[in-house]
Amino acid sequence: MNYGHRLRLGALVTPEAALALAPAAEAAGLDLLMVIPAASSAAGAGAMGAGGDEVVSVGEVVPAGEAPGDGCAAADPEGLDAWTALSWAAARTTTIKLGVAGLAVPERHPAMIARSAASLDLLSGGRLELVLSGEKTVLAEAVEIIRGLLDAGQPGPLRHLGAHFRVAGAQRGPLPAHRIPISLTGTSPDLLRLTGRLADGWLTTLTEPLSGGDPSDDSSLAGVSAEDRRGVSDADQMAARVAAVVAGQKLIDEAAAAVGREAPEVRRTVVVASGWDEKALLELVVEHGVGTLLLRTDDPEELRRFAAAGLRDRAAEAMPVALPDVFRPASVRAKRRPGIDYDSLPASLEETAVEPGDLDYARVRSTYMRGGAPGLVLRPRTVDEVKDALAFARRHPELPFGLRSRGHGISGRSTNDGGIVVSLAALNSIEILDEEQRLVRVGPGARWMDVAQVLAPYGWALTSGDYGGVGVGGLATAGGVGWLARKHGLTIDKLRAAELILADGTRVRVSDTENPDLFWAVRGAGANFGVVTSFEFQADEVGDVGFAQLVVGAEDPADVLVRWGRAIEEAPRELTGQLIMGRPRAGQPNFAQLMTMVDSDDPQFVVDSLQPVAAAGPLYDQNVVLTSYAGVISNASDATHTTEGDVTARSGLIGHLTPEFARAAEKLLVSGAIHWFQIRAVGGAVADVAPEATAYAHRSANFSVTVMGSSARRVDAGWNELRPYFDGLYISFETGLDRVEDAFPPETLARLRELKRRHDPDNLFRDNFNIDPRGGAL
Amino acid sequence: VTDYGHDLLFGIFATPTAQPPQQAVEAAVVADRAGLDLATFQDHPYVNRFHDTWTLMSYAAARTEKIRLSGNVMSLPMRPPAVLARAHASLDRLTGGRIELSLGAGAFWDGIEAMGQRRLTAGQSVEALGEAIQVIREVWDTSTPGGVRVKGDYYDVSGAKRGPAPAHDMKIWIGAYKPRMLRLAGRLADGILPSLSYLEGGPDDYAGLNAEIDAAAEKAGRAPSDIRRLLNINGTFATNGTGFLQGPPEQWAEDLAGVALEQGVSAFILATDNPAVIELYAAEVAPAVRDLVAAERP
Repeated sequence: MNYGHRLRLGALVTPEAALALAPAAEAAGLDLLMVIPAASSAAGAGAMGAGGDEVVSVGEVVPAGEAPGDGCAAADPEGLDAWTALSWAAARTTTIKLGVAGLAVPERHPAMIARSAASLDLLSGGRLELVLSGEKTVLAEAVEIIRGLLDAGQPGPLRHLGAHFRVAGAQRGPLPAHRIPISLTGTSPDLLRLTGRLADGWLTTLTEPLSGGDPSDDSSLAGVSAEDRRGVSDADQMAARVAAVVAGQKLIDEAAAAVGREAPEVRRTVVVASGWDEKALLELVVEHGVGTLLLRTDDPEELRRFAAAGLRDRAAEAMPVALPDVFRPASVRAKRRPGIDYDSLPASLEETAVEPGDLDYARVRSTYMRGGAPGLVLRPRTVDEVKDALAFARRHPELPFGLRSRGHGISGRSTNDGGIVVSLAALNSIEILDEEQRLVRVGPGARWMDVAQVLAPYGWALTSGDYGGVGVGGLATAGGVGWLARKHGLTIDKLRAAELILADGTRVRVSDTENPDLFWAVRGAGANFGVVTSFEFQADEVGDVGFAQLVVGAEDPADVLVRWGRAIEEAPRELTGQLIMGRPRAGQPNFAQLMTMVDSDDPQFVVDSLQPVAAAGPLYDQNVVLTSYAGVISNASDATHTTEGDVTARSGLIGHLTPEFARAAEKLLVSGAIHWFQIRAVGGAVADVAPEATAYAHRSANFSVTVMGSSARRVDAGWNELRPYFDGLYISFETGLDRVEDAFPPETLARLRELKRRHDPDNLFRDNFNIDPRGGAL
Repeated sequence: VTDYGHDLLFGIFATPTAQPPQQAVEAAVVADRAGLDLATFQDHPYVNRFHDTWTLMSYAAARTEKIRLSGNVMSLPMRPPAVLARAHASLDRLTGGRIELSLGAGAFWDGIEAMGQRRLTAGQSVEALGEAIQVIREVWDTSTPGGVRVKGDYYDVSGAKRGPAPAHDMKIWIGAYKPRMLRLAGRLADGILPSLSYLEGGPDDYAGLNAEIDAAAEKAGRAPSDIRRLLNINGTFATNGTGFLQGPPEQWAEDLAGVALEQGVSAFILATDNPAVIELYAAEVAPAVRDLVAAERP
């Protein structure tokens, strides 16, 4: 009997040995390194009394020299702290999974275990596994607290008022890098039943007992007393131990079934000693359902032999239909969407993928502006994983397919209903390439506020959007209309090179000299051509800037629009601004908010430049500060998107805010169909770039107009009146994704179509202003 | 000139930001390469934006080579003293003696209580800290036979095993401002680690802290020089000087040398996560302060 888990091999080592053995185990190809908890860290922790005058003593568990576990570090009074050694090992390895084979609860408080676990999981890139030891009722509470704190997507603080722990409203988080499995170790029937009910795994040993945990709980030989052990032969002893494992499995399975869980939800890990023959080990795996074998050794040679013995291959032969590494029970699989071949997901993506029944789903389904219900969210962590994700998407040509940097996109389908989403959030590195040239390499999943904060110490900035939570990828492939646009141009104008994965999985580098056609296309229509895995930008020298938030009366909205537009056009290029108006409310005065940045640290110049803008209407309120670009753009929270519903956004690019346009805009404003009306300044340096130089071609516009509302029909009733004034649109602010002819002028579109036919003939990248390779004249 | 005879130390006081996960590690790496003496990290486990400071420190220790690491300061109510002692000693052995132990009696009690720990009054928390130091030193003391026995009002350890011992004579520095804690420092600690931003009268307030510590040390039969005076500082580099630690590096150096010579402060730990600031502090401030102080010291 087995559960179909792909066999994992690991080593169980002392904390002292872990330092050298972690890199060795990784190099040898082991899957997992577990560190033995020193008995000293489990006992005598000197925990503070739980309440009132009553002081709980936990110091008496292990008198010196009488530690349980005679074969391992537990007996060593100098034993290193296992968690500390593990954290060290994490810094010296990159792929191997890591854990401590039994963190003792309550000596370690579960809330602190959760925080430590999240940290180590984040620092190690999602490689941590937790194993807890202790008494059953304590562990039941501990698992609830740890899971509750790690589940940072849950609303509100964690409250747990139990018999052992009282957590009266702790902040959840930090969100770990992956769902950290929690196993329990021990052999008492109560603990086994608890494991079946709620744990992700069970760890037990066929060698000497592990230290720590419930002292009454001999973790190697359930039901066989020490007395009995002495009288029997080695072989009989081992048979008895295997029998105990089998008996334990049964208890776990029964308890799991009683609460509607499936047996494979609990992965079984068994510690074995060296010297076991392969046949016996395989029997454990194939006949007794053990999913992970840990070799107890501190000898690097033994460990290498164990890794190289071919056990995993032989187990795979014996169990041809292995389960995926991430096992999803029937209750989760029931929420899968039709048309997605979930079970063929490559192993590289398995662990980070999220499907509708998963714990993480609430955190990834929605974007900033839009609720969604994708059937599968893939979260590649490396360029190779991006290739794997695209290969998987290629096999699902009928489904919606969205690309997501950080999910701010207004136009882009970075979420969908029942389709596939590739989230690039993990590709978020920011790296200075060349200080002389101010070259920086940025991943698509970084946020612009993170970029700004990295660049600020150098006295540099990259113009981006106006909100720091926006991801790099979406913006830097569409245009990038930001606070420094008139002085420094669009974000794409700062792009010097990029690496992307094309529809067929090819990795290419694009720049003025390498694949220049694609470099041209990426700058304005990138979402049609590939997944950019890194951008190389040349930052600008930007010191402190003036930033003004002005509020002017808009009793006559059309007049304010015209005057503001004129002030912007006449302003020095250092000044870039935007105007926001809301839906007029009955009985309340009408306002316009004028947000303005002046790229200068000279207060007099800032104030002088702002005067004409402030004169667009009667000034009601003003707040002007000298600050850093990073200070302005660091305006997003770290919260995950939990939006529901949909939004209609319309975009238009326009040369001048004429009185005729202003009157039509005023009509739309008062119609009540829109709840947001915004005009951003472009022009200036944006217009210095020739229209044919990038796929973003509408270079002559001075303004980018955006409206948002709920009902497309009602929004369009007013918006259609404005259309004659526009020349083109900005794809990042438009939800009418079929308006490709408005997004790109004819010559640009023709060139894009030709490139699309060449690089994405099957139209893999199809959900965001799709340039259909079959469309247009051939 | 007030001089307790310690070499000058310069370090950073980094935010243990959990996102991006490696940011605080990188700050320590930059400080290490820049030749600073100390990389220290805040410890506020009730704040969900932060790493667990101990995990972070252990990880950063493995990524650095020479720099000494410490909490700044570890929140005692969240961390049992025997665990702190063993963890610090372990990391000290792993790093070949680069770890110091900084301890705080607890701030932000709402957060501490929300994480499941008991709220103490200010007076109780000072007493608990005194007991914790005793537990820690007992755990480290592997030359005395038998288990650790500390029967306190807050920590009751009866028979826990000793060890591991740190690789070097690890210092215990405590966050101290008020008389009771300062007297405890004079009696038991190896240093105090206050923050400039909490000294209402600025660096001159240190004179009052020193007087309290020196008197308590002498009363306990210790030399005042047994207690190092450290200071967390914050400031801004600027072209023109406008105030204490607001100006060019040369002015910073004069400001800090003044505090070193007048108050006997021998460690300046700059609150920053910014690599450029760390490098500037290491390259242009630290050596200049050392020169200025060396010229004045006898």
